[in-house]
This record gives sequence, structure tokens and C-alpha cells, in this order.
Amino acid sequence: MSQDAVVDLSAIRASDAGRVGPKMARLGQLAADGWQVPDGYAVTATALDGWLPAEARGELARLFTAPAQGHGELTRLAEQARALVESQPLPSWLRDAVAAAHARLESRTGRGAGLRVAVRSSALSEDGQAASFAGQYETYLGVSGVADILLHVRKCWASGFSAHALAYRRRFGGASPVRVHDLAVGVLELVDARSAGVAFTLDPVTGDRGVCVVEGNWGFGESVVSGQVSPDHWTVDRSSGRVLTARTGAKLTWAAFSPDSGRVVLSPLPGDLTGQPCLSEDEVRYICAQAARIEEAAAGVPQDIEWAIARDLPFPDSVFFLQHRPETTWTAGEVPRTETPGTEAHGTEPPDPEEPAFDPVKYALRHVFKVPGS
Amino acid sequence: MSGDSPRVFPVDEFVREELYPGYKQPFGSQPFVAGPVRPFSLADNERYWLRDSLHFSEGMVPASIATLDDAQTWGAQLGAEIVGVPPTRGSVNRLAGTHVYIGTIDVDTQWQVQARAARFGQYVSPILADFGSYWAMRAGELQSAYDHFDNLDLHVMSMPEIWTVLKDAYAFHRRAWFIHFEVMYVLTANYLAFYELAEEIGLSGSQVSSFLSGQQTFYSRTDEELWRLAELARTLDVSSALMTGSPADMRSRIAALPHGTTWLGSFDKFLSEFGQRVEETCRIDTPSWAEDPTPALYSVGAFLSKPTGFDFHAARAAAIAERDAQIDAARRALNGANLSRFNQALASNQTANFAWWNEEHNYLIDRRAAIPVRRATLELGTWLASDGEISDPTDLFFLFKAELFDVMSGAGTTSWAELRAMIPDRRAYFEHWRERGPSLPPMLGTIPEVVPDPIMIEVFGLSGQFLETMRGEAGAGAGSSGAPGAAGTAGVTEIRGFPAAKGVVEGVARVITTVGDLHLVEPGEILVCGGTTTEWTPAFGIITACVCDTGGSLTHAAIVSREYGIPCVVGTAIATQVVKTGDRIRVDGQAGTVRVLA
Repeated sequence: MSQDAVVDLSAIRASDAGRVGPKMARLGQLAADGWQVPDGYAVTATALDGWLPAEARGELARLFTAPAQGHGELTRLAEQARALVESQPLPSWLRDAVAAAHARLESRTGRGAGLRVAVRSSALSEDGQAASFAGQYETYLGVSGVADILLHVRKCWASGFSAHALAYRRRFGGASPVRVHDLAVGVLELVDARSAGVAFTLDPVTGDRGVCVVEGNWGFGESVVSGQVSPDHWTVDRSSGRVLTARTGAKLTWAAFSPDSGRVVLSPLPGDLTGQPCLSEDEVRYICAQAARIEEAAAGVPQDIEWAIARDLPFPDSVFFLQHRPETTWTAGEVPRTETPGTEAHGTEPPDPEEPAFDPVKYALRHVFKVPGS
Repeated sequence: MSGDSPRVFPVDEFVREELYPGYKQPFGSQPFVAGPVRPFSLADNERYWLRDSLHFSEGMVPASIATLDDAQTWGAQLGAEIVGVPPTRGSVNRLAGTHVYIGTIDVDTQWQVQARAARFGQYVSPILADFGSYWAMRAGELQSAYDHFDNLDLHVMSMPEIWTVLKDAYAFHRRAWFIHFEVMYVLTANYLAFYELAEEIGLSGSQVSSFLSGQQTFYSRTDEELWRLAELARTLDVSSALMTGSPADMRSRIAALPHGTTWLGSFDKFLSEFGQRVEETCRIDTPSWAEDPTPALYSVGAFLSKPTGFDFHAARAAAIAERDAQIDAARRALNGANLSRFNQALASNQTANFAWWNEEHNYLIDRRAAIPVRRATLELGTWLASDGEISDPTDLFFLFKAELFDVMSGAGTTSWAELRAMIPDRRAYFEHWRERGPSLPPMLGTIPEVVPDPIMIEVFGLSGQFLETMRGEAGAGAGSSGAPGAAGTAGVTEIRGFPAAKGVVEGVARVITTVGDLHLVEPGEILVCGGTTTEWTPAFGIITACVCDTGGSLTHAAIVSREYGIPCVVGTAIATQVVKTGDRIRVDGQAGTVRVLA
């Protein structure tokens, strides 16, 4: 069992999604296919099965099938479950396996005991095509040392039982009754990010497959992923690689490493960085070109990709890919057609006036204020 | 009852020539776009007037009428004019005694509607395209003014210097209210466009404010801090002093406890960051929390009376999960062009978010803008009292701005002796009307079939349902000369309103008509009130449901109930008349019904 419990990223492939979760499986495949990703290892979901004693599992099953009215009660149940999972001591075979994998990682990265990592939940049911579980499970950035990693592995597992995650699961399914072994945990070298963000291989608002959209901020990507800032925003024409629009966001905060807490925290963006775009145009184009190749490798399904630019490496070696997943907004519904069978193809022509973009001002004049002729 | 004759609640008994004894408004003294605050006249029977207990529950002293003029009257009219809102020229106010009623002014010619529509697009589009930068600019302007006024040491200034500060403070107050309505009209258009789109593509418009919930505001941070102070009071063993006794000596009783000064240190730090707020909009006569922290101490005491704390993080996380689940469900129901339009409207409203701003702006404008005027007025009053011109600094609350400016400028049409002589009558007049406040009708004038102004519907709750209830009441009460509500609501056990936050709860009702009585609410009760504002928010941590006479999808009670996960029904028109404190009631926040069980 112990040799199954922890797996180095270099050994992980897409087919391992059933034990390390799709997020880590895709990352392992990305690394194997030659993209630059942070090195690391995964603690498998199977390990959890062997970890929690039977009575704890019985208690969890009871908590999650108990009737709950309203989020207050759901929160209370989730709190109990979380406390239960967090309080279970890890068995020695699992502690040893994590310590060994971490020693290998410290040596591979050459950073020794100074290595800082991201500890990320990787849910096995995370990527249901209909429901985006983005951000439902916890991630801890800046963790170092085996003891601290073990603590946060437990916290990640426990985060599967937040009221937030549970409300989602009760609504959209996932394991039911909630099983206890469907979360894996990834431990990855923390890329010391100068800038970070996301890239979409289509326009997530309009569904336009002809463009790639990049959003980013200074520092670590959590400020962008959590929606806490108005990020910088670029659209790039996929066929020509030309930057079509570039908008510098009103970025007031960033996610930065705090030596005091030893964690990445959200804090005010230093004055000299506000108003400055966080990427050069070369970097934007490079990210889009790589994003298009990742989409191609993912059988052409539009992708939502997290990237980071390492502070201390020269471009393009500085560009890391942290994870990717199918873009759920559009792939869940009908992907807009760019041509209609049997009729004239629209291609990249201007949009059909019969299918208008939404302009809140025009709409308000016509439908809210009912101004004749508007 | 007849469906043909219009329903009228006569304004006749409120008709006056003077706003207060001895005060006739000087003609043309202020550059109003459409009309200043006035007493009712008989012509006002032709239009509808809504009692604005949402913002002003206790009545206005003369000095507050200038700030009301700046705010809901002049500010709204100038905002509507500059933004170019096509159907409305903003709001206008009347006073019944000292109590505020609000009406709207329709734009009634086609050419004006078209001309306003054309400039509306030019004004609003660039702001919506980059709302973040725009609001940062306006908020920065307001904040730098507060930095200026808050840092003035009025105690060391001469009387002419203080008089200058007061003039500056009035000028700033007026500017702040233009900003208020400029932003409000821009954001309302964005919100209502999304609302109408939702209706068009088969969703419900009432869901839209849920799609936009979950944003942290200044007020949710305040509540979180108050809960933290309650926890600290438990830890430091000072809770008994916070839960008993009169607030007047609460501070000294806390200080006498072993860890009392430690707790007061934390409390004062809280006040320095969160204390620049008063209980009601435009009220010159109410202190800020920094001046008199009684409301904050009451909140801490109320939280302590609840056995467990409130997990804000978990509640917000659950509210966000619920919001995202609703958005996902909406998206799954859509495809093609409708999905695309939905996503664009959502994105526009997520960056220019009226549901968020409607809460957040109160701290920068509604509850704060008049504090510099209050401080300078009291300081000036201290000088004038020591000179013997008035007997108490608060006497200045009972002079109109025009009277004060006239006598201070030495223009000499009025003397201090004449003004001083009127103050006792005016104090009595204020007290008389303060007592009458809770029994005033929710609407006066002619109750319309529909109200075209969307703000009156979504913020004030003048929905078809509300108006129908009001018309029913007017019919039932028409034969009696008493308050319209009394005859109309006898025997009513089920009332309907706008379903603002889902869930079904049965419990004991607590009817509260003014924020000053909020401390009477016990944990587990159902709050029944005219309407809530930000000052009511702490009560949401201890109540199990909320019912309001006024309100629509965007009112405070609706937004906060969703954040706290409790059922809420708003816009019932008559809940405070039908329900009595102690009644057992059943609130269905999904159906929008309230039933009196016993």
C-alpha cells in the first residue's frame, strides 16, 4: 500500500486520474509531453482509504446523509466532518512515504530544506462537465518542511468537507452518499511568480473560438483565480498571433509571499506596479501559442489554463504551466457555430447582426426605459 | 370596491404653508432642477407619495432639511438630469409634519425622452466600460474630503474659521450627493438591463440580485468586527457589563472589570476605523458611533446573548456557493445567443455591481456625508451659546440653513433674538411629529396602477403587488376618517410580498418601527419592520427571518438576508400593521407569504 500512497509527478500520466485526480493527472501528462511545469508529487486518494479508521468513516457517512435544512445546518455538519478528518493522525507508513517523496523533490529542485511548495487539493470528481468546481477545494501556498506539509495534506483532505464543497455536491451530485476517498493532494514546487494568471483558448464571455484570452496580475495567481482583482486582459487572434485588445486592469491588490506568516497572502499592490501591465506582449503571445498547443493535445477541447512567470529565469524558460482543465462555461452548453451547414460560412466575419452582442445601455433604453425607437 | 375610481389617501390634514412654525421658504433661493423639499399642498393629492421610512424613520429637524434638500431632492434631480435618465427627472420630497415622503417626476414629452436617451448612452457607456477605475476615482474624491474634515481640530479654531468650515462642509455634502445619484443611475441601468434580459430569456428577473451577491462590503466587515468584539468580551470576561444596565455608564462599568480596559482598547480601535457613521441619512441631530458608541455596544450585547458566534467565513462561502450554483443552473438552461447575452450581462454586472454598491456606498455617502456639517454646526453652536445668542449648541439644529446663513452673514434681515424665540416651539413641533411617526400612512395622494420609475420598484418596492395592497386598503378604509391602515387590515391573517430570500421559518414576531428600538430584538425572533438599512444589519445575526413593509429585490433586507441565509419577504405594504409583537408567524421566503398563526 505504501508504495501506492505517494507518486512522483514524473510517473503520473493522464490515465492516473482515478487515483491522483484529473488536475494532477493532466499536470503529469503535461510534464511528460514536454511543457514546463513545477515538479512535485501526489498523495493518492487511495491513501485516504487506508488512512481513516472504520469508525471515522462511519461517522462521516452519518454526517453527510443527515438531513440538513439551510446552510447553517450544512455548515455545522461540514465543520464536524472537517474537524473529524483533520484530527485523525496520519499512519506512519504514509508519513514516511511523504517524507521520502519530499526528500527526493528537495534534491531534484536543488533547493534543499529551503524549498517552498504549494499543497493543492485534487478532487477525483472535480471536472464534471456540467459543474465547474473551480476553487471549491483548498490550496495552501508557501508551505515548507515535512511536518507542515503533512498538516496541510490533512487540511486539504478535510477541505473536501466544507459547507461550500458540500452545497455544491448536494446540488450537482458527485459521490453520494459522500464517500471519503475521492480527494487526492498534490505537492508542487512553488514557482516564485513575478506575474501569474489564466489563459482561455476561447473568449469565455462570447465563446469565440478564434481568439485566446489572457488575464493576469503581478505576483501569484490566486488574486486572479479568486476573482479579487480586475486583472490585466488581453485578447489574441489565434490564427495570426496578433494582440487584438490589451486592457490594463485596476489592480489594487496582489498575492505575495509574506515572510512573516510564511504564506502567500493577499496584500495591497506596491504603488510602482499599479497601472503597469504584468506581461510583455511577447509573453502574452507565447502563453497563447502554448495554450493553443495544450488545447490540441487535449483533443481540441477548449481549455482554461493557469500560468506563472518565474521571477528569476530568462524568457521563455520563465513561463510555467500550473494546471489546465476543460473550459466549462462553453463546453457545457452549445459551442457557438462558426458556420451553418448548407449556408454561407461566417468564419471570422463580423458577428451576424441577428445575434447581437449584449449592450447594457442599448438594452436598458429599449427594455427598461422603453424609449420609443431605441 | 370599485375598480374605476382612483384610490386617494388625502394629504389635506398635512397641508401647510410653512415647513416649521415661523419658516417660509425664500423663493428661488436654491437652483433646483425640479423643486425643493416642501410641505404638502392640496395639488399633491393628484400624485402618489411614498413614506420613506427606509431612509428617514424619525423625522427631520430644520437643519436636516437642508441636507435632505441636498440629498434625495437636489442630488437626485441633478443626477437624473446629468446622466440623462429618460423617463424620470429624479425624486422630489414632501414633508408630513417632519416626516419625509418621496415622489417622482416623470419626463412627459416625447422630445425630452428622446433627447435624454441620446445623451444617456453617451454618458453611461464609458463609465460601464471601466467602472472599477471610475468608482475608484469618485471614492478617492470622497475619501480625501473626509481626510480633510476629520483632521481639522475645530476646538482650537476661531468662530470665523469654524463658519468657513461649515460652509465647506455644506458644499462637500451637496457634491457627495451628486456623486451618489450619478453612480446610482448608471448602475441601476446596468442592473435593470440584466433584469429585463433575464425575463426575456426565460429566467426570473428576481434571481438577478442573487447572481450578484456574495461581495464583501464595508458593512459586512463591520459586523464581522462586532462579532469578534463579542468573542473577545467572552474571553476577557466583560460580557455581563455589555448585556445589562444602561448604556450611559456601560463604559465605566466595563473599565472597572479586571480586563475591561483591554477590551475597551480593542473597541476604541474598532471605532477609529468603523465609527464615522450615523444611524440615519441626512440627520444632523444624530451622533456618529465615534461620538456615541451606544448602537455598537448594543450590537455586541445582542451578539453575546446568542450562545454561539456567527461564522462569517462559512456563511459567505455558502452564499457564494449558492450564487455560483444558481449561475451554473441558469447557464445550463441557456444556449447559443441567449447564453452569450447572459454571460455578457453577468460580466458587466459583476464589474459594475449595483447589488454590492447599494450597500457599500452608504459608508462613503449616506451615513457619513453630513458628519462634517454636524461637527461644525455643534462647534459653532458652542461659540454662539457662550456669546448668549442661543441657550444650547443643539439649538442650531432647529434653525434652517437659510436662517443661519442669513444671520451669520450679517445681511441682517433676521436677528438672533427673533430666531431664538422660535426654537422652543420648533422643538415641541419635532417631538409632536416624532410620536406620530409610526402611525403615518405608508402612502399619500393618488395610488397609481403602475409606477414607471424602475428605481421606485426595485429599491423602494412599489411593485404591482404593493400598489394593489395599497389600493385595497384605501378602498376598505375610505369610509373611516382614521389612519387608512387600521380599518383595512382587521382580520387579515395572510399577507403577500416580494420573495426576497428563500426558506420557510415559523417563530415569534418582533415588530420594530425605528432603529432606536433594535435592541429589543431577542435571538431567534422574526423581525417585522418598515424597512431596514445598514444600521439594522447586526440584527440579522440573531433573527431567524425578516419581513418588511417596503422593498424590492435590491433593498438592504433582501441582500443581507441572502448573505445570512435566512428567509425574507419584503414589499408587503402592511406587515407592521397586521402583525403584532408576540404573534407566532410563518414566513415563506420562496412564495413571498407571511401567515399569522396565533
